[in-house]
Amino acid sequence: MNFFRVIKGKNAWIFSGMIILTLFSIVMSITFGPATITSNDIFQCVVNECASPMHDMVIWQIRIPRVLVGLVAGMGLACAGAILQNVTRNPLADPYLFGIISGAGLGATIATLILSEEQMLALPLAAFLGALFSVIIVFGIATLLRNMNHLLLTGVAVSFMLGSISHFILYLGDPFATNRVIFWLMGSLTRVEMFHFYLISIMVLLTLVTIFAFHRQIDALLLGDESAASLGVNVDKLRIILLALCAAVTATIVAYCGGIGFVGLMIPHIVRQLVGVTTMPLIVGSALIGGCFLVWVDVLARSALSSVEIPIGIITSAIGSIFFLAIMYRTRKTG
Amino acid sequence: MSTLLAVESVSWAVEQQKILNNLSFDVCRGDIIGIIGPNGAGKTSLLKCLLNQYKNWQGSIKLKHKNIRQYKPHELAQTFALVVQKSPPIFDLKVYDVVRMGLLPYKTLFARDTDIDKKEIMLALDKVGLAANENKFFNTLSGGEQQRVLIAKALVQKAKILVLDEPTNHLDIFYQHQILQLIKALNITVIMTIHDLNLAAQYCNRLLLLNKGNLVSNSSVNDVLTPELLTKVFGLPCYRDDAQHSDIPRVYFSPAPDESITHMSNLSTNNIGQLS
Repeated sequence: MNFFRVIKGKNAWIFSGMIILTLFSIVMSITFGPATITSNDIFQCVVNECASPMHDMVIWQIRIPRVLVGLVAGMGLACAGAILQNVTRNPLADPYLFGIISGAGLGATIATLILSEEQMLALPLAAFLGALFSVIIVFGIATLLRNMNHLLLTGVAVSFMLGSISHFILYLGDPFATNRVIFWLMGSLTRVEMFHFYLISIMVLLTLVTIFAFHRQIDALLLGDESAASLGVNVDKLRIILLALCAAVTATIVAYCGGIGFVGLMIPHIVRQLVGVTTMPLIVGSALIGGCFLVWVDVLARSALSSVEIPIGIITSAIGSIFFLAIMYRTRKTG
Repeated sequence: MSTLLAVESVSWAVEQQKILNNLSFDVCRGDIIGIIGPNGAGKTSLLKCLLNQYKNWQGSIKLKHKNIRQYKPHELAQTFALVVQKSPPIFDLKVYDVVRMGLLPYKTLFARDTDIDKKEIMLALDKVGLAANENKFFNTLSGGEQQRVLIAKALVQKAKILVLDEPTNHLDIFYQHQILQLIKALNITVIMTIHDLNLAAQYCNRLLLLNKGNLVSNSSVNDVLTPELLTKVFGLPCYRDDAQHSDIPRVYFSPAPDESITHMSNLSTNNIGQLS
């Protein structure tokens, strides 16, 4: 019986480390940016009153919302990736493979053409609807094919289809609108507000609660559909619930933060090495590490170049693509 | 022995093609039933119907006098445990994690493992002789060990009927006997599909012989493994050897080339001739 205590103890240490890292990342990341803010300034602002109105504004109005949105967006994307990989038993699955990003892109493209400059607040909503539209199409086609295993392949196909429609509209449309859509698709946390944090938090919380409820069923899927069904799991229903949940959380994040790719692919792989492959530790670990990762990528995005911010999606995609190749290399070596 | 499972007139078809045709048989407590027959006979399909994994089968399957369609999925999972491993898991599941899955039919949403659950998992691993391997990765075990882990999962599932699909596939002779001995020693009802007729003769107390979806014979090993029946079903001359020191019959097939084989061999010789 010692084994259980050892594992429990080992995982307890790892999770404690992750929680400390997350808290440290939240506090420290607030200090990075064009305006100089020290950890003392943050401490003073939180415990007492800020030293100056400038500190008050930068910390409460700009940095904290940004860091918190980065945190929950990272959590949501990493959790969605982890669920998707376990549910489809595909280590290369990523929430963006549903065609969500191209769906959101199409929504944003149409919105830029229809809406005036003042109505651009509706862009996230249009992107969300576009993402949802793409998910519904992907699900519809996979259902028609009667094969949920083809869901990701369907996602890739739909992604190309919606992408080409967007490009066609942009090609015919206004060059300024094109710029706006392209920059938005690159992903950024520059314009986020506390409201976005609350909204994304609700979706992430909903995802976590659902996963905690169904963690045994998801674990059972790891041995195959047939085996899971023999354990009393309604495989098709469970898969649809979880995929819809992943799609909803990703679509919400994409709507407010733009295209931030590869977080959902990378983070679960790292976490599996640390805490194992079963759903509960994987999801909790992915949420914590995913949150930290995006917080620090955003720090890099806003402080790497002094004159300009780098879109966050460019950095995650650059890191992610190298990671993707590394996984394939590793699989080649071990397989 | 009391009847545990009563199968009556079960048929199953895919797009009007009959895969199972009007099968009827009973399964009694403690039976070890081997389902034998050539490829495409409907062996695995029959298992799937018994587990209610196909929705459109016809007829009646009664478990303890109640139609299996009236059971909830978790109730069926408390009765039937399926031991099958078609492809290795993608991710590095530990042996303990695999056996732990057997708890699923007894757990409500959000339920955590208790100390009793952990003891049960260890006890099951101990029964299959793998207590020292709980921390190993499932994928790194040999085929025989993987089968034993899956049987341990079935034990945690506290199933009354163990359902196995080709449990000896890809195993060497030592592991084939080890797995079947283990299954026999568990003293529970077993239904398994099996290709090796002599292994089936050695470990099963009843055989169902299927051919093209029909139940050709349902009887004791001695009555099913007859040269006449097997020759007819497998399409090869079959001989039976009743060893004097044992009451278990042994059968073997003579690969005498029939017309179709001679024809195929002529074809391939001609092709080679043309190529050269």
